[in-house]
Amino acid sequence: MSAKHALLGLLRQGPAYPYQLMDRLEALLGPAWSVDEGQIYKTIKQLADSDLIEPAGGAREDRTERRHFYAITDSGGEEWDRWYGATQPVVRLPRRPLLLKITLAGGPERLKVALTQVNDYELECTKLLQEVMHARDEIPREGLHVRADHLLLRVNLGADINHLEGELKWARDARDVISRLLSQKAIWPSIRERSADPDEDHNRQGARKELFDQMAASHLRPQVDEKTD
Amino acid sequence: MILRLEQICKSYERRAGRKVALDSVSLELNRGQIMGIFGPSGSGKTTLLRVAAGLEAPDSGAVLYKGERMDEMSVIQHRRYRRREVGCVWAGEAWLPGMSVCDHVELPLLIDGCENRSARRVARKFLFVCEAEECADMDPEELSDGERQRVAIARALVTEPRLLLVDGAVSGLSVVEQEEIMALLASLASDAKVAVLVADTGASEILRADPVFYMRDGKLIGADPVDQTGKLYTLPAPTSHRSAADA
Repeated sequence: MSAKHALLGLLRQGPAYPYQLMDRLEALLGPAWSVDEGQIYKTIKQLADSDLIEPAGGAREDRTERRHFYAITDSGGEEWDRWYGATQPVVRLPRRPLLLKITLAGGPERLKVALTQVNDYELECTKLLQEVMHARDEIPREGLHVRADHLLLRVNLGADINHLEGELKWARDARDVISRLLSQKAIWPSIRERSADPDEDHNRQGARKELFDQMAASHLRPQVDEKTD
Repeated sequence: MILRLEQICKSYERRAGRKVALDSVSLELNRGQIMGIFGPSGSGKTTLLRVAAGLEAPDSGAVLYKGERMDEMSVIQHRRYRRREVGCVWAGEAWLPGMSVCDHVELPLLIDGCENRSARRVARKFLFVCEAEECADMDPEELSDGERQRVAIARALVTEPRLLLVDGAVSGLSVVEQEEIMALLASLASDAKVAVLVADTGASEILRADPVFYMRDGKLIGADPVDQTGKLYTLPAPTSHRSAADA
């Protein structure tokens, strides 16, 4: 999935100039699709070089600038149709660099660094979530007729919100686990010398095992003076 | 075989019409087994557990405990089942005002006729193995969600039941607490050979259970659950969910 097909799809609806494409992309699909000027010109050049789009006649002279319109070519239309009809690839799980840092921390010192980064990540997710939710609130309420573009934008932003909420949950879980590991002085198998004395845990495990074994063996009741009913 | 449910049906009369809570549910639970049931709220999980606990009689079908039909038990046998053979942990446990955690945990023993000092000793022992000994003298209101759940499990275990029914064991808990609770239940099944039936809303919360069933609209759907769209999907293996404490 790329900006290339997004632009082809937009140009299929009619000729447009680069700035227009940039605005429409974000307006229709949400902040996840915001691109800068450099990216849009680069993609347009690639598309034009591959003959998928071409300059449309009549550059419009504006007060301050010259606007070059682009239109989709026949081969561009075919490429769009091919892409549209192609099956979606297999779902892949995201590889999170932060998760890599946590997993390979190797000990509490580096884990503290990762914890700070998890906190920052959580904060950034919260900010972005607020931004996307705000964008969703901005979509005008439906009037007498349902507007397809509004409804579809709502779906797009809903997907972003779900994703961000998932990221937030992940960050909170990670923070929770890391804090627990740091406070418990957990055993790090990669470190030769054990950093904690797990005596208490050992005692509890022993007591639990003993008690549970007793229950299994006999299901003995505690010494009860059973009352006759 | 500890517990056997045969074609259990149960429905409730409501103003909006009849609500089918259980629709021909059958299952078998063995000693030392930990069975998980997950499904959306209102799918019938709690009703299933209440029927298994002997708190509600099914409209039709039979509940068998160690081969004996529950509806054919005498009053004394039924009371014995409720007091000693089955332990229950319910979502949103009721806590009695003015009683400490330890008071709550020893209550099932006192009701069963156990002498005070002995009940207290046993209660503290179970609080210790459930990692809640520090909460013993606290007011239940002061506990965190995870602590409250561990206390509820300790209370369900003091009578050393052969069957433990756990409703909403881990939902709302942090991932670490979920792991700890599920590790405790798993060890209860494997070491104490207690048959554990645990129900929760999400599959990820009960991964240590095996087998895991999906419940929807009062029906128990096999080990390959069906999602909202009717598509089949396979649950990850229970062993893939390792405890952070094991690491």
